[in-house]
Amino acid sequence: MLNRLPIPAQFDRIIVVGATIAVLGALPIAAVLIALLLLDELTAPEVVFWAVAALIVAGALGTVLLPNIVHAAVSLVATLLGVAGIYLLLGSEFLALVQLLVYGGGVTILLLFGLMLTRAADDPVIADGAQKPFAFGVAALIGGIFVAAVLDANWSQTDAAAIGIRDIGQRLFRDYGVPFEIASLVLLVALIGAIAIARSDQPEPEAAEAEEVTT
Amino acid sequence: MSDLNFDYALLIPEFILVGTAILIIMADLFRKELGLGRLVLPAIAALGTIAAGAASLAYIDDVDDFANVIAIDNYTTFFRVLFTVVLLVVVVSGYEYVERNIRHTGEFYALLLLSTVGAIYMAGARELLTAYISIELLSFSLYVAVSLAKTNPRSAEAGLKYVLLGGVASAMLLYGMSLIYGTAGSTQYSEIAAAFSGGTSEYGFALLLGLVLLIAGLGFKASAVPFHMWTPDAYEGAPLPITAYLSATSKAATFALLLRIFAGPLLPVIDQWQWMMATIAVMTMVGGNLIALQQTNIKRLLAYSSIGQVGYMLMAITTISDASASALLVHVAGYLITNLAVFSAVIAFHNRTGKEELDDFAGLAETNPYLAMVLTAGMFSLAGMPLLAGFVTKFILFQAAASGGYLWLATVAVIASTISLYYYLQVIRRMYLLEPARGESGRWRLSPAGYIATGTLTAGVFLVGIYAGPLFTVADRAARVLALS
Amino acid sequence: MIPLENFLLLSAVLFAFGFYGVLARRSAIQILMAVELMLAAVSINLVAFAAYTDADRFTGIVFAVFVITVAAAEVGLALGIVLRIYRERATANVDEASTLKW
Repeated sequence: MLNRLPIPAQFDRIIVVGATIAVLGALPIAAVLIALLLLDELTAPEVVFWAVAALIVAGALGTVLLPNIVHAAVSLVATLLGVAGIYLLLGSEFLALVQLLVYGGGVTILLLFGLMLTRAADDPVIADGAQKPFAFGVAALIGGIFVAAVLDANWSQTDAAAIGIRDIGQRLFRDYGVPFEIASLVLLVALIGAIAIARSDQPEPEAAEAEEVTT
Repeated sequence: MSDLNFDYALLIPEFILVGTAILIIMADLFRKELGLGRLVLPAIAALGTIAAGAASLAYIDDVDDFANVIAIDNYTTFFRVLFTVVLLVVVVSGYEYVERNIRHTGEFYALLLLSTVGAIYMAGARELLTAYISIELLSFSLYVAVSLAKTNPRSAEAGLKYVLLGGVASAMLLYGMSLIYGTAGSTQYSEIAAAFSGGTSEYGFALLLGLVLLIAGLGFKASAVPFHMWTPDAYEGAPLPITAYLSATSKAATFALLLRIFAGPLLPVIDQWQWMMATIAVMTMVGGNLIALQQTNIKRLLAYSSIGQVGYMLMAITTISDASASALLVHVAGYLITNLAVFSAVIAFHNRTGKEELDDFAGLAETNPYLAMVLTAGMFSLAGMPLLAGFVTKFILFQAAASGGYLWLATVAVIASTISLYYYLQVIRRMYLLEPARGESGRWRLSPAGYIATGTLTAGVFLVGIYAGPLFTVADRAARVLALS
Repeated sequence: MIPLENFLLLSAVLFAFGFYGVLARRSAIQILMAVELMLAAVSINLVAFAAYTDADRFTGIVFAVFVITVAAAEVGLALGIVLRIYRERATANVDEASTLKW
C-alpha cells in the first residue's frame, strides 16, 4: 500500500525510526507527568499542557534542525497538531478543528507536493548555511527578549471559558464580514498568482508576434 | 436606509474595482472567442479605475464607518482618490510595456486593481484585524506582480525573496499586534487609545516589544532602513510598471496606515515609540541616499532614492502633530506625482531601447530632448529644487518637523536631501553632457500614451510647485479627521 | 488553572525557533516551514489573549482564523514561485538562485 502512494521511499523508514525515537523520548516525560498527576502536584489540564508543549517544542526543533527536508516537514506536522491541542486547552474547539483541517490536510500536502515537484525528495539532505552560529546567536537573543517581555508584564486575566462555535460564527461573519471578504480576495490573488507564475509559458501566437516587433 | 444590517453603499468604489478585476479576468479568458484587441484589457482597467475614483468623490465630508471596521471619512477619501489616480497612471503609461514583457496581461491588470482595494482599506481601517488583512491583500498582489515579467530571469527570484522576507515581516507585525491586543484588550483603534490613556505601566516591557515589532513589520512594508533589504532586488526584478507601483501605492498605503495608527491608538504611548521612529528616520534618510550614490542601474537608483524619501516621511510620523500630519499628506501626494513622472519617462525610454542602466541614458538630450526635460524636471523635484513640487512639499514637511521641536532631525533631512542632489545630477549630466552611443543618435518620438502620461504628470509637478494652495486645503481637511491637537 | 504566562512563553520559544530557521536554512521550502512556525506562535498568542483577557468578544480567535488562512495561502503562492525558479534553474536554494544579491 505504501509503495503505491506518491511519497518518497524514506517515508516508511521515517515512520518507523521517528516513531521509535519519539516514543523513547516521550516515555520519561509521560512518566514524570503521570507521577505528578498522581501526587496531585498537577491538574489534568496542566498535564495535557506540558505534554502538548513538549510535542510542540520537539517538533519545532526537528523542523529547524533536521538536515533532511522530508523529516523536517513531518516534524512541522507534529508541531502544528500540537498547536491544535493548545487551542483545545484554551477552549476554542472551532479553531482546533480549523487547524487540523488546514494544516493537517492542506498545508502538509502542499509542502509534500512542493518537495516532490522540485525533486527535493530525491536528494533531501540540504546542509545549513555558514551563517548558523550567527543565526543561533540572534535567535537566542530574540527568544530571551520575548521571554523577558512576557515575564515583565503583569497580565490581567480572568478564567478562560470555552467559547461557543455559534458565537464565533456571529463574530466572524457579521462583525468581521468585510475583513472576511478581503481575506477571500487574498485567496483569489494567491490562486491567480500561483497559477499564473507556475504555468509554463507556451508563447501564444500574438505574444510571439509582439516579440518579433521589439527585436 | 433599508433593512440590511450594514450600509453597503459606503463601499461602492471598492465594489467597482473588484468587479472590474473579475470582468478583466473573464474578458481575458474569452479573448480569442470574442475577438478582443490588445487594447481592450487596459481600457477596461482604466475605465473601472476612473469610475471608482469618481465614485469616491461622493463621500467628501462624510463621517461614517462600515460595521466599525472601516472608516469612511475625508482621510479615506483622500487616499481613495490618490490610489485610483496612481493606478490610472500606471495603466496608461505602462500598457505598451505590459503588452511586451508581461506573461499574463489579464491577471496582471486584475492584480493591480485588487491590490488597490487592499491599499484603500489600509488607509480606511479603524481596527487591527482589518488593517492586517488589507496589508496582506496588497502584499500578495505585489508578490505575484513582481514575479510576472516574461523576459527577465530575475523576476521570479525577486518574487521569491520578496515573499519569504514578506512572510517574516508579517509574522513580526502580527506578533506586535498580538501584544498590543493583549495589553489593550481590543483591536479597535479607539478602544486601544482609551485603554492606553489609562496608563500602561503594568505591561512594562511587553508593550514596548509590541511597538518595536509593529514598527519593524510596517518598516519592512515601507522599506525603511534597516528593513529595506528586499527593496532594491524587488525593484530591479519587477516589471517596470510594477516598480512604479511599488514606489507609489505600496509606500503611500503603508504611510496611510502608519499615520492612522500612530496618530490615534498609539498616541498616548508616544514616549515609548518616538525615539525609535526618530532613529529609523535618520538611518533611512542617510542610508538610502548614501547607498544610492553607488548605483548604476536606474531601477536600483530609484529604489534607494525612494528609501530616502521614506526617511523624510518617517520624520513626519516622529514629530506627529496636526501640522506634520497634513504636511505628510501633501508630501505623499507630491512625491507620488513626481515619482510617477520619472517612472513614466523611464518606461517610455525602456519601450524604445529596452535598456535600464544609467549609462544608457547618455545623450538622451540629443535623441529625445522632451524625455530628457521630463526626467530632469522629475529628478530636480525629487531632490527638492524650487518651483517644482518636491521643493514645496519638502519645505512644509521640514518646517513642520522643525517647529515640532525636532530641529536636529530637520537638519539631517536637509543634509540628506543635499546628498541626493548629487546622484540625480549624475543622471542629468549623462543626458545632457555625454554623447549618445554610436549608431543611436537618431531622433525618436514617444507613443501618444507616453506623451499624455509624461506631459500630464510633468505639468502636475510644476503646478504643485507653483500653485500648491488647493493641495494644502485638501490635505488639511483630510488630516483634520485624525483629530490631533 | 494554567496561567496565561505558560501559553505566552510557549509562543515566544516557538517564535524564536522559527526565527532561527529563517536565518539558518538555505532551501526556500525550509524557510517557508520556519515562517509557518512563527505564524503558529502568533496564533497561540492571539488565542491565549482572547481566552484570558477578552473572553466576551474573543477578537483574537477571529484574528487567528485569518492568520491561519493567510499562512496557508502564502505557502501555496511561495511554492508556485519556487516551482518556477526550479524549472528555470534546477534549484530551490535561495543562495544558489542568486543573480540578485541576497
